[in-house]
Amino acid sequence: MRTCTDIAGAVPERTPRSRRRADGWARATGVRSAIRGLRLLVAVLTGITPAFAHEIRPGYLELREEPANRYQVLWKVPTAAAALGEELAESLGQTSRPITEAALANRREPCGCPSLWARPRSPLTVSIHPVFPPEVRPLAPPVVRHETDAELWTWPVQAPGDGLAGAEITVHGLQASTMDVLVRIVFRDGQVATRLLTPTAPVLVVEATRRTGAGGYLRLGVAHILLGVDHLLFVLGLLLIVPDRWMLLKTVTAFTLAHSLTLAVATLGYAAAPLEPLNAAIALSILFLGPEVVRFRRGETSFTLRHPWVVAFAFGLLHGFGFASGLSTLGLPAGEIPLALLLFNLGVEAGQVGFVLLVLALGTSFRVLEVRWPRMVQALPGFAVGSLGAFWFVQRTALMVMGWSR
Amino acid sequence: MNSRGGAHRTRQRPAPVRFVVSVLATLAFPVLARAHLVNSGLGPFYDGVTHLALSPDELLGIVGLALLAGLGGAAFGRMALFTLPLAWLAGGLLGMTGRITVNLPTATGLALIVIGTLVALDRQVPFAIRPVIVGGFGLVEGLQNGAVAATGALPAGGLLGIAATAFVLVALVAAGAVAIGKQPPWTRIVARVAGSWIAAIGLLMTGWALR
Repeated sequence: MRTCTDIAGAVPERTPRSRRRADGWARATGVRSAIRGLRLLVAVLTGITPAFAHEIRPGYLELREEPANRYQVLWKVPTAAAALGEELAESLGQTSRPITEAALANRREPCGCPSLWARPRSPLTVSIHPVFPPEVRPLAPPVVRHETDAELWTWPVQAPGDGLAGAEITVHGLQASTMDVLVRIVFRDGQVATRLLTPTAPVLVVEATRRTGAGGYLRLGVAHILLGVDHLLFVLGLLLIVPDRWMLLKTVTAFTLAHSLTLAVATLGYAAAPLEPLNAAIALSILFLGPEVVRFRRGETSFTLRHPWVVAFAFGLLHGFGFASGLSTLGLPAGEIPLALLLFNLGVEAGQVGFVLLVLALGTSFRVLEVRWPRMVQALPGFAVGSLGAFWFVQRTALMVMGWSR
Repeated sequence: MNSRGGAHRTRQRPAPVRFVVSVLATLAFPVLARAHLVNSGLGPFYDGVTHLALSPDELLGIVGLALLAGLGGAAFGRMALFTLPLAWLAGGLLGMTGRITVNLPTATGLALIVIGTLVALDRQVPFAIRPVIVGGFGLVEGLQNGAVAATGALPAGGLLGIAATAFVLVALVAAGAVAIGKQPPWTRIVARVAGSWIAAIGLLMTGWALR
């Protein structure tokens, strides 16, 4: 039977000296007792009997690849005792403080797993924990933090040479609970694998290859634009300078055509743009729109305001190279690129359309709710576009220059 | 002339402009930035957005409140639009001090029952009670988020992300409810049914928490 990853001897971090000193003062002056009493009262009044209340919330397991095959593990598990506060747990005769190595070594989970997860805990705590294959070795003791309703465990692990491919990750105790666990693996190339483990399916087998399915490319495209705040800000800048729906359609279409063109060209390997100057140029494109937004609000005119679609097309070519970086870093096999490109681009467009619709819907909502913004607030989006564009331009240019000087 | 006028306006408001620039610069400072956002520094903000997207109980509460506010008219909707995010932020800052803890499932469950029932009944909420309901919910949920932020599990900037998402959600849903309110009376039933579901989910949550 597979057991927990063995990291016996892994004792969580000690309390810092300053914290111990502060605790001593608080204890001596009775402040801590008073706060404890108050928190207990609040917890009891608001909680009453919260046993197993948290089982309706999911646990969360994240593996984030940092250097190759080395992962930072984050395990978050709901704990009813934590929700009541350390004080109540202590008053129940329990403690969640670090314990000795010897005590850890002698403890076992109900599933038979050794020390790591077998900590003294309140009977209210949900008893589940992740299990990795033996070849996935822990590199350091876990650090445990308490939230008001959860425990957070973090520790690094080393996967074997071929990575996590084929590795079986199980959550022990899940079958006996009513909760789910969301597992998210973030690979170094930016790819993300997400799976929900449930009481009926508590095991995740990491796929042998890192290739995402067709839906994966689509999601990747959506995520790329929605998390690429610089692209979104550029689109927002365009939305702020178009006078009507027809011009909006023309501008967004021009931007879409342009970035699709360079995305395809770059992904197929016909052209490439060095990343650092490209990022600086993208920032410059956002900065460029800031003053135009201000001009538009003042009722002035310029070439950009008369023909925003031309600017959208020109800068769209740049942004397309930026989108391409999201796909090209995956290292896709040549045969898979056309499908990946198509779906990735569709994902980008879907994300972009979603963002445009959201901004338009928000504008409509403000009108329906009859919100009257002060002039300063009305100017805020333009200043946000310009200021962030300027900041990123300076930051990225500095990074680029520092890179050259090395 | 226009440009001179613009320059004049800029000179009249140096403090707000400096404030906006400093806030933006702070937001953009590349601390705790991750992966895709390595150059934007908006990672914590996105963490907050994601947090709310992955918290259906909090989402339901916001949707319920927005429905209630929207059905009460544009004025109630406007009040909720600004009160909820501000209360959430205030609760978050209070929660970060670690002085108050709230048992979230019970508190949220009870809040969902109250909000859902009010939506289902479709009665006008007294003017004085409105900010109490909206602000109370924001404060309680914010307290919890603040307590999480205090542990470092959620960056402090995440509170801004949560508040901003709440703002957007309230705007969209409340405006939708106001629009429904202007339609023939039977269309309000759609919102009332949604309210009854929210109350039912709150009842389940509370029952589960108290069992």
